[in-house]
Amino acid sequence: MRAKGLTVTEKRVLISLFVVSGLLCFLPPGLSVYQQHVLIVSLFYVMMASSWNLVAGYTGQVSFAHAAFAGIGAYTSGILAAKAGINPWVGVVAGAAAAALLGLAVGVLCLKMGGIYLSLTTLGFSEILRIIITNEYEVTRGTMGLQIPGLFAEYSKLSYFYVMLVGALFTLIVVRLLIHSNLGLNFRAVQNDERAASSLGVNVVQVRLLAFTFSSALAGMAGALYGHYLLLITPEIPSLDQQFLVLSMTVIGGMGSFFGPILGAFSLEILSEYIRAYGEYHVLAFGLVALVVARFAPNGLVGLITSRRDKKASPAAAA
Amino acid sequence: MALLEGQGLSKRFGGVAALDGVNFAVEQGTIVGLIGPNGAGKTTLFNVVAGMFRPDSGRVLFRGEDVTNLPANTICRMGIARTFQVTRPFLKMTCLENVAVAMINSPRSEHGRDWRRAARTYLDYVELGHLASTEARYLNVVQKKRLEIARALATKPELVMLDEVLGGLNTQEIGRAVEFVKRLRDERKLTICWIEHVMGAIMGAAEKVIVLDQGKHLMEGPPDAVVKDQRVIQAYLGD
Repeated sequence: MRAKGLTVTEKRVLISLFVVSGLLCFLPPGLSVYQQHVLIVSLFYVMMASSWNLVAGYTGQVSFAHAAFAGIGAYTSGILAAKAGINPWVGVVAGAAAAALLGLAVGVLCLKMGGIYLSLTTLGFSEILRIIITNEYEVTRGTMGLQIPGLFAEYSKLSYFYVMLVGALFTLIVVRLLIHSNLGLNFRAVQNDERAASSLGVNVVQVRLLAFTFSSALAGMAGALYGHYLLLITPEIPSLDQQFLVLSMTVIGGMGSFFGPILGAFSLEILSEYIRAYGEYHVLAFGLVALVVARFAPNGLVGLITSRRDKKASPAAAA
Repeated sequence: MALLEGQGLSKRFGGVAALDGVNFAVEQGTIVGLIGPNGAGKTTLFNVVAGMFRPDSGRVLFRGEDVTNLPANTICRMGIARTFQVTRPFLKMTCLENVAVAMINSPRSEHGRDWRRAARTYLDYVELGHLASTEARYLNVVQKKRLEIARALATKPELVMLDEVLGGLNTQEIGRAVEFVKRLRDERKLTICWIEHVMGAIMGAAEKVIVLDQGKHLMEGPPDAVVKDQRVIQAYLGD
């Protein structure tokens, strides 16, 4: 990774991330407990959508196991804390590591296939995991959920908010540094044209595997933090519903762009709070939103903003 | 010893023999033309050498080393670069990034940390410097072909395989392009294997021309001998 030699835009993006997070720090004390909760959940989805974007948006592999890896993180950390009395902070690291290892294993199995086969295999993996968690009642308490200790001795929404904020910031910085490293160039080359990439010396399978492993580790971390916030982990975390929510956030926000998943995570989480009253229909509403976005803004909400700028800049540059 | 050598290469697609026992050799520091009518197997031969297809039988030797079933990225790292007849730029990446991908994966590229500047020199070399930060999807066909060449050169190859790089050029531009390819050989000490339909261009540049017809090696020799050969004329014009 090229930590040195960040370009001017890179510095700008990183600085603006810090500034926005800094401002966010002052926001929650004035908010109600409920609003703080919504922010915390949004930050969880920022982590999930941004790390999923790393594989789906930047290397073009649509994995359906991202929520599953969050589940691995949550259950690893949760079980370690609840059954073995291990410090939850250590558990979060262990959860991320477990997700990375499993990601690597799943990746080795199915990344050579790529495309739709990758999607199917990860879908299968996700279901298998859910079934195992549901049925291993002795260990996981199945759908009843496992009560796990929190990150702090004293429960405070505000503290969790700051933890999730740091977690999201960490995820975003890792993603940003990765995609602007040499590895990131290879990610995008593989997504643009695999055959051309391999003819230029890119080891396509290795590049995909690295993206998949990094992304799984970040999902594991997000899941573990989220689990310790909820204090009760259920098979909801690694469910396909969750997966599709993350997918919608990324697609609606703008897949393959850095800010897309952030925008998507906040807007869909907040929207879902408003339409929660309609129960199951809120899934329908998401579907409709996704359809409208796919039709009128194929590059997502972020695409709407940047295409205006590009229209001005590009034809002149190409002439 | 030849830099690149093919021995008895065969490749079938269903019932069609795209390559049928082809032997050929490319000597170091030369330009070798590869010609033949449509469907003769020229591009298939490139794909087999470049590791895109595995041949059904036969061997490919590079510097005397057997490279037959190595994957494409390994072949590239060993020093064989190729361009695609139908160009395959990374459309959503800038020209500079397109070239950078080639550089950062090449073990021979000496770009150090500052690949931007190094990548720029390759773009300047093919006269695309002014489009460095333009995404490749905005390029026209001729510019895309130039980008293919810049990327191939950026891998620091010993051997470059050019697949119909003159398409879309007028007579005057073809003349300049031929000079460009000759300079690659003379100034950069490259060995070049060149598929081209524009006969005049190949004839003016190549030391040796290999003619393929229906997957078979029809003949080879110096350009002036090849154009006069009765078998070649027949292959192109029919009986």
